[in-house]
Amino acid sequence: MRHFLGLALLCSFSYAQFEIEGHVGIDTQAYSSKQNKHSSSITLEQQLKMKYDKDDFNSVLELYAQEDYTDINSKKDNDRSYIRVNEAYVEYEFEEDKILLGKNIRFWGALEAQNIVDVFNIQDFRNDPFTTDKIGAYNFEYAHYFEESEFSVITKLYEQNSDMATSSYIYSALNDNEAFNDNLNTEKSQYRPTVYLTYSGSLSREYSLDYAFIYQNGYDSQRYMTKEDNTYTQHAYLVNKFMTYNTMVVNSTLLKLEATYADVINDKQVSDYVHVALGVEHTLDQLNSGSEIGIIGEYYYYDTFDKDKFDDIDLGQSFQNDLFVGLRYSLNDEADTQTVGGVIFDTQYDEQTYYVEYESRINDIVKVTIDYRYIEPSDSYNTVNAKLEQHQRVGFNLSYHF
Amino acid sequence: MLTLQTLNVNIVYIQGKNMIKIALSSFVTVANIFAMTNFEVATKSDAIMSGFEDSTSTMTMTLINANGQKRIRNMKSKSLELDGGDKSLMEFLSPADVKGTKFLNYEHAKRDDDQWLYLPALKRVKRISSKNKSGAFMGSEFSYEDVSSFNIDKYDYKNEEAKTKILNGREVYIVQRHPNYKYSGYTKQVSYVDTKTFLTAQVDYYDRKKSLLKSAYFTEYKLIDTVYRNGKIHMKNFQNSKESILIWKDESIKNGFSNKNFHKRVLKK
Repeated sequence: MRHFLGLALLCSFSYAQFEIEGHVGIDTQAYSSKQNKHSSSITLEQQLKMKYDKDDFNSVLELYAQEDYTDINSKKDNDRSYIRVNEAYVEYEFEEDKILLGKNIRFWGALEAQNIVDVFNIQDFRNDPFTTDKIGAYNFEYAHYFEESEFSVITKLYEQNSDMATSSYIYSALNDNEAFNDNLNTEKSQYRPTVYLTYSGSLSREYSLDYAFIYQNGYDSQRYMTKEDNTYTQHAYLVNKFMTYNTMVVNSTLLKLEATYADVINDKQVSDYVHVALGVEHTLDQLNSGSEIGIIGEYYYYDTFDKDKFDDIDLGQSFQNDLFVGLRYSLNDEADTQTVGGVIFDTQYDEQTYYVEYESRINDIVKVTIDYRYIEPSDSYNTVNAKLEQHQRVGFNLSYHF
Repeated sequence: MLTLQTLNVNIVYIQGKNMIKIALSSFVTVANIFAMTNFEVATKSDAIMSGFEDSTSTMTMTLINANGQKRIRNMKSKSLELDGGDKSLMEFLSPADVKGTKFLNYEHAKRDDDQWLYLPALKRVKRISSKNKSGAFMGSEFSYEDVSSFNIDKYDYKNEEAKTKILNGREVYIVQRHPNYKYSGYTKQVSYVDTKTFLTAQVDYYDRKKSLLKSAYFTEYKLIDTVYRNGKIHMKNFQNSKESILIWKDESIKNGFSNKNFHKRVLKK
C-alpha cells in the first residue's frame, strides 16, 4: 500500500510549471480455478505524468504504482505491488535534428494482435500478459529529419532486470516452490550497449505507404530461461537483427507487414530465426448510425534455422504459426464506445484464444473496460497456453482520469 | 440580370469626342450587376477566407444530445495553407483519457487524404484510412468532411445560377454544390452566402438518401489581418436531434509555420 500512497502523495505536490495528467483505477479479474493459484485479483493502479515543455525543450517524468490486494490481505502474496518509473527523459529539438536522453518507452510496429518488431522495451512480467505494460529503457537518441523521412541512432545504455509475480498469481510462469532470479544473465556486461539504427518515412502517392527499417546490434528481446535448484534465470544474448514494419493504404484497407531476421552472434543454444507477419485491416464505414466496423486479419510465422537448438516452444514464442481474425465495432459516439473481439488460431499446435473487450466512458472522466477471454490450449505440446491450461477470465477495469 | 438591391456601381464617365465610356471599377461590382453562378459565389466566398498562410487556435466543442445534456471537448489546432491541400494538426485536450491524442491530416483535393493518429498511452503513431470522411468527428455531429478546410475543387457546382433570398434579414445567395468525392457522406450541400460580405451564413447537408440531415449555422466571424476566419459553427442534426457547437478562440494567423511544423515527428512531441 505504501507504493500506492507514495505516488498519491507525489500527486499532491504543487508542480505549477508542469503539465500534470494521469489516472487512478481499479482492475478486477476473475479466473477459472487452477490449483495453487488465486482465482481472482484486485489491483489498484495509479499513473502520474508530469511534462515540462518550453519552446524546443521537452522533459517528461511518468510514474506508475500498483497495489495487488492479495499482497495486503492474503497469506500467499502475488508480489505485484510496486512503484515504477516508466519514463524520465529530456529532449531537445533543433531545426532538423533531435536529441533525447533518459528512460522512455517507444512503439514500433503496424499490426494489432502482436507487434513482433516492438522490441525496444521489455514487458513487465508481473502483470496481465494480454495488455501492453512496457518498462522504460535508458537510452540516448540522435535523430535527423528529412522532408518525408527520419533517421535515428538509438543507444540503449543498460539491459534491465525483470521481476516476476510469485507462483500464486494466475499469469506467473512459476509453479509452487519455484522462484525467479531477478538478475538477468547477459552474454557480456549488462552495460554493453544495444544500438538501433532506424530509418522511417512516408510515401504519399496514389497509394500511400508508411515504412520503417531497423538494424539492431546488441541484446535480443527474445530471451530464454534456465532452471537450477527450482530457480529460473533469464538469459540475454547478442544479435544482429534486421527489422521492418510497413503500412500501405489502399482505399479503406490497410495492408501491413512486420518482419524480423535475427543473426545470433555467439550463443550456442539459440538459433538464428525469422519472424514474419502480414495483416489486413478493412473498415466498413457509412453505416446508418455513423458507426464503423473494422475487420482485421493477420498471420504470423516464426521459425528457427538450426533445429538442434531451442525451438519456439523452448523460447516461449506464442505467435509462431498463428492466424488472427478480429472485428472492431466503434459507435463513434461521445463516449468513444468500442467493442473489439477476435480469435487467434494456432494452426500448428491446435490452440484457440477467444476474446472480446468493451470500452466506454462515463461522464467524460471515468473510463470503463470489460473483457472476457477463453483459451483452449494444445493437448499435445507444452506451449505457453498449455501451461496456463484451459483458461477463462472476466475482467473489469474502472479508471478516473485527470 | 441586374441585382438591384446590391447594385453598387462606381461609374466613371470618360468623355471622348462623341461618346461616353463607362468603366466598372471593381470585380465585385461586375459580379453583382450580372447574376453569379454557384461556382462564382463559392470562389468569392473561398477567396475571402483564404490567404491566412497558417493558423493556430484553441477550439471548444460542445456536444448536446437529444435530452439537452452537454459534453465539452477541447482541442488545439494548427494548420498550414497550401495549394495542393492544407495540412493540419489537432491535439485533443479533453476528455482526460484521450488527452495528448493527436490527429495529423494532409489534405489532397484529388485523392484520399493522408492521416495519422498518435495514441499517447501506447506511444503509437497509427496510420489510418481517410476514406471514411463521413464518420463523426470526436462523437460530434460534425464529420471529418465538415471540419476539413473548404476547397472549391472538392465540389461540382453544375454551372447553375445562384438564386437569392432573405435569410434572417440578410440577402444571401443560395449555392448548391455536389461533393466530387465518391465516398462523401452527402449527395448535396446548400450554402447560404451573404451577398455583401460573401461570408457563409448557413449550410444544409443532404444525406445519401437525399434527405436533409443537418444544418450548420456560421456566426461570429473574425477578421484577422484582412482574412475572415470562422468564429462559431452550430450544427443541428434533424434526424437524431443532436447538436454540436464548435468555437474557435485565440486564433492567430501568419505565424511563419512551414512543412516542418507538420512533419510526422510532431505527433510524438
